[in-house]
Amino acid sequence: MTENTIVDAVVIGTGAGGAPLLARLAMAGLKVVVLEAGKFWKATEDFATDERAQDFLFWNDERLSAGNDPIAFGRNNSGTGVGGSTLHYTAYTPRLQPDDLRLRTDFGVSEDWPLDYQRDIEPYYDELEQFLGVSGPAQYPWGPIRKTSYRYGPLPVNGAGRLMEKGCRELGIRTSPAANAALSAPQFQEGYGWRSACTNRGFCQAGCNNGAKASMDVTFIPLAIQHGAEVRAECFVTGFERDSQGRITAVVYEQDGQEQRQRCLNVFLCAGAIETPRLLLINNVANSSQQVGRNLMAHTALQIWGEFEQEMQPWRGIPGAVISEDTHRPAEADFVGGYLLQSIGVMPVTYASQLARGRGLWGQSLHEAMSRYNHVAGINIMGECLPYEHNFLELSDEKDSRGLPKPRVHFSMGENEERLTSHANQIMREVWAAAGARNLWAFPRNAHIIGTARMGTDRETAVVDPNGRSFDIPNLYISDSSTFPSALSVNPALTIMALSLRTADNFLKS
Amino acid sequence: MENTSLSGSVLDLINSDHVTPATRNALQNRLNQPPITEPKFFDEKQFKRLQLTCNQLIIRLNKEPIDIAGPIDIRLANGITNGWRYDDLPNDGEAYRLFLTGINQTAEALFDHSFETITTEQRDAVLRAVQQGEATGPAWQNLPTDRFFEELLTEVTEVYYSHPLAQQQIGYTGMADQ
Repeated sequence: MTENTIVDAVVIGTGAGGAPLLARLAMAGLKVVVLEAGKFWKATEDFATDERAQDFLFWNDERLSAGNDPIAFGRNNSGTGVGGSTLHYTAYTPRLQPDDLRLRTDFGVSEDWPLDYQRDIEPYYDELEQFLGVSGPAQYPWGPIRKTSYRYGPLPVNGAGRLMEKGCRELGIRTSPAANAALSAPQFQEGYGWRSACTNRGFCQAGCNNGAKASMDVTFIPLAIQHGAEVRAECFVTGFERDSQGRITAVVYEQDGQEQRQRCLNVFLCAGAIETPRLLLINNVANSSQQVGRNLMAHTALQIWGEFEQEMQPWRGIPGAVISEDTHRPAEADFVGGYLLQSIGVMPVTYASQLARGRGLWGQSLHEAMSRYNHVAGINIMGECLPYEHNFLELSDEKDSRGLPKPRVHFSMGENEERLTSHANQIMREVWAAAGARNLWAFPRNAHIIGTARMGTDRETAVVDPNGRSFDIPNLYISDSSTFPSALSVNPALTIMALSLRTADNFLKS
Repeated sequence: MENTSLSGSVLDLINSDHVTPATRNALQNRLNQPPITEPKFFDEKQFKRLQLTCNQLIIRLNKEPIDIAGPIDIRLANGITNGWRYDDLPNDGEAYRLFLTGINQTAEALFDHSFETITTEQRDAVLRAVQQGEATGPAWQNLPTDRFFEELLTEVTEVYYSHPLAQQQIGYTGMADQ
């Protein structure tokens, strides 16, 4: 392809927001190029079962974290490489519940989504769960009655999952094996070949090495390539060229230290809820609403850890094996929204790191706590977070190695997040105590960045319309968690993919 | 596969066919890395002080030869970060240097001796003061001490527990990945 070729679309980013629509556009016969900042790995050969060796999966350009509850990035909230953050997501794929889309209606705060669950989201969930090969229970106890079954039976429940089942049973809390986008049986994937079944290696967060986990590099990306899409890895987008009407005519990027440009008719920006607003702010585009970088949300994600008599092998098995959504809208809650409960396994360096950061243990006390690593199991939440004026992303004066301003992210939990977390803290401690845990300790955290280029029907208060199209630049679309009007009380990956497919379908119709 | 091949040491396990080539390469590279003796980022005095600090933070029961200060020096010399930092901390390299100056000032203030010449109990007291945000000395004016201590302790802990010999100590056998 020469520099002057005009493609139908340039997609920026290959994660859960970019890869599905890339495949959809390619399958419709469009000429599409995707630009990805990171490398194109071959997981079956390149990925080690070793946390430190896998550091390359994370976006390790420095971000500045401010506010009362500064957000950790790197391995917590970022990703790079073809596949984006799906290379290290845990594959946890719960569906949102319809009332997640109506916080404003139900509680008078946050925002309603300008979408209808049955019309705009559910059909894509049905499609995605089949395509990705989601493993899950025959009957899922929460949410609307499903039109389809999960494609495969649930993955084996690991030690932490069995303890959560036990603790919850004693307290009368319902549990279920969780839906995970990792195969419990082999699956043929168009453009890729056979993906193996999960071997319960437990290193989802350090990259799956056998294709069992439905990351984008083994699902939508090969499908897109099969249908003619071109993947350009190690290309970092820095800006846009625009015509006199403001439409984007080319995407400008760095490759091997050289500036390049790709002419195009349309752009799909899918760089995640930090790099998407950062790129828009650096170029001062698509921001007549002044909402780019604002409304930043991050799920409340408190973890409770405990030690058990028996050996747990906490690194084994799908990390999030068991779920409960009985806390989706808890009775007599003194907060807005709710959360899900999830059992969690943990890799050794991650656990050691959290002991250091969360408890400040060192010397003899660290040694003793780590000597009990093999007896550890965890439980955590994924909970609602409201948008606030005080939580936002801005460009700092400090420059990165490319000379671009580093992002500064301000985050402080509000009263609602404090109350929700306090409620969850008590329930999780009760569950873990009922399961037989000793030496309980809490690790506070926030996960998943959301909302920094919000979707809405009013161009005064939103960055993109309900199809993801920029109000300001008619040939610019945004597809990632930055468009979410509210945070949801579930993990976002499946919903990001659903909106990605929907954006592509509506684009193709127009 | 659990434990059956771990009758010997983790070294036997790594060389067995229970471990994929990618994992074996990663772990052997780490095992074969000689300890850094000529730092590139720190000067010799700073580096020695960092090593002393690591020895306070991490207990090596069996005297495992695990270099912790070396990988930190390499990271800082190469300008690599973990993807974020607290907004109120200076950049990682500057923060480490301030810390290494600061603990000596605190040692002098508390015990009238340099960090190198006080006892290990006294070094513990210095580090405890830093962790609790109570350390004294001009270097701390520009560094929120408790927050930097969290960063330091996290990095030291991650480097140590990434080493197969440390992982063996805690009963971890997950490197057996096939």
